[in-house]
Amino acid sequence: MNTIVRKQMSIHPDVMDMLNNQIGMEMKASAAYLAMASWCDQRELLNSKAFFYKQAEEEREHAMKIFKFVNDNGGAAISPNVTNVNNEFESLKSIYETGLEHEISVTESIFKIFKAAREKNDFITEVFMQWFVSEQSEEEDSFRSILDIFDLMEGMPLKMIDERIPTE
Amino acid sequence: MKNETANSYEIKHLTFCKYELITPNKTITLSFPQMLELRRNINELTTFASLTRIVNNENFVLLFVADKQHLIYLEIPQLLHLKEEIELFFHAPASILV
Repeated sequence: MNTIVRKQMSIHPDVMDMLNNQIGMEMKASAAYLAMASWCDQRELLNSKAFFYKQAEEEREHAMKIFKFVNDNGGAAISPNVTNVNNEFESLKSIYETGLEHEISVTESIFKIFKAAREKNDFITEVFMQWFVSEQSEEEDSFRSILDIFDLMEGMPLKMIDERIPTE
Repeated sequence: MKNETANSYEIKHLTFCKYELITPNKTITLSFPQMLELRRNINELTTFASLTRIVNNENFVLLFVADKQHLIYLEIPQLLHLKEEIELFFHAPASILV
């Protein structure tokens, strides 16, 4: 890497841009989950509301983890604009389906950063991103498991389905 | 020749954490975080959508640099030239490991 820039930054500038985009994506996911939590909270879907409040916090934690990483490595972390958050949903099942789609797009974005870091020999970011790869695998799994419950309990009252949603 | 001078922007490395942006009108001293901020602003201004908006409206931009201590006026050719200069400064090819 260019010696002048390398002395100031441990990570690659192009990878830093991608990490800043990822911060925006995680914060947007956090805001989206908060909207979902509110929808569930208003309808007394207690387990779902707890699930989405927790998801919203987790996504923010992910964003903060990347934010601090960028600054700690000499880069400039950017506080993102979060706009166009959808607050209207058709059903509880559609909320979880949207959640899974969110998680998949986040995973794909993480893969792109991982690949770019590898291509540019930015091993610091590559190692840092490994945690996120494993985390995304868990996140996708939790949404898929919940969507399985919807299929298995098809036709049952919503409140009963909600009671089967894992809270841990 | 006159046009070349009007478009000329240069970035110089002075010390470990001090850089200079030489514009046709003045020389601005920048720290590394201020350089990163300038890079971000210029990258945002030179996206296709942003350039189209600038061309279709005022045809120039006013940009704060060095923590808002300086204001620079950039027309499209100058903006693109500054983008190239910043890209060159931050150009970091992957190191070859042997």
